[in-house]
Amino acid sequence: MTDLDLDRLGDVWRQQPDPAELERLRRTAATVSRRARVALIVDAGVAIVAAAVVVLLVLSNPKVQTFALGGAAILLLLGSNVRQRRLRRVELRSLSGGTEDMLDQSIERVETELKHNRVSLAAMGPVLLVGILFAGAAESRVASLFPAAGHLPMFRTLLVGLAVVIIAGAAVFLALAIRRGRRELERLRAMREAYRHERETTTS
Amino acid sequence: MTTAARGGNGAPPFKAIVADYGPLISRIASSYEADPSLREDLTQQIFLAVWQALPSWRADASLKTFIARVAQNRSISFVTKQVRQPPVAEIPEKLEAEAPNPEEHAIESNEREMLMEATRKLPLPQRQVIILVLEGFTYPEISEMLEIAPNALALRLSRAKAALKSMLEHDE
Repeated sequence: MTDLDLDRLGDVWRQQPDPAELERLRRTAATVSRRARVALIVDAGVAIVAAAVVVLLVLSNPKVQTFALGGAAILLLLGSNVRQRRLRRVELRSLSGGTEDMLDQSIERVETELKHNRVSLAAMGPVLLVGILFAGAAESRVASLFPAAGHLPMFRTLLVGLAVVIIAGAAVFLALAIRRGRRELERLRAMREAYRHERETTTS
Repeated sequence: MTTAARGGNGAPPFKAIVADYGPLISRIASSYEADPSLREDLTQQIFLAVWQALPSWRADASLKTFIARVAQNRSISFVTKQVRQPPVAEIPEKLEAEAPNPEEHAIESNEREMLMEATRKLPLPQRQVIILVLEGFTYPEISEMLEIAPNALALRLSRAKAALKSMLEHDE
């Protein structure tokens, strides 16, 4: 029984891919970097448009209620943006670090996401209530801008229907995200345990 | 921001990185994911991670080491997210029991494919070590990348070699 010749296996392993494969890799990388650049621009654009819409709505109906709700919406947008950026930074740092640290951080991240999703699911009721209040406050303004549409029963039904679909969709999305998160957490913990076991048995 | 100047930290242009390290990234993706469409997905994710992480690379560190680290870590996190398909690393017995169809067998007859297939069956900590050795990293580099002591690395590598040898012999 001879030992494995890792040098020879390394040569086999590092066989240069054919030109077609290299070209495919180059195309994939070019697409990825282009999409990443576009995503950066879209992210910033969406945040600016969302903030502008909220500001316009508030300015078009300058009441204490709309100021408070608009301010809360902008704070929510800002908070969400900052949170996303922080998560991305942490993820990138963990990607270029040690695997065990990455697994620890991934476990922490998935636990936090799970908690966040659970809280979001539970908060849907109160958020819905705030949404109704906001809609009530904005309704008079909408009706004055679009008097014909405001009195159409079809228009109202469509709006209410759309809102119900969005809320139900968000609830299903959160429920699925929670299930997915639980499974991911199980796997991450199993992998972490595999590394811990390997470390313990190779250092004792 | 252009692909040629991500972060302005002296990193080569992304195009050059792809030309130099694309095959390394492709091999690492292949050693974690057997399914071709998922592998393509993983390769894209690794490229994206490298593109995003590039500004944090320091010029005094080896770029190859940096890319291999990002690729391995991204592959591991990718595997944990594949909820429908259990990670092959954790259940080698099940995979060994699966008989390949004739087409798969024809592909696996290639030595490189056999090696790749056997590597995919290794438990994750051992797989990481073997991949890095096969990629030509030195033992001190691997110790540093995996943050383990040299003697622990030697033990882990010895186990990985034994497991790989047994699998390769089993496949022949």
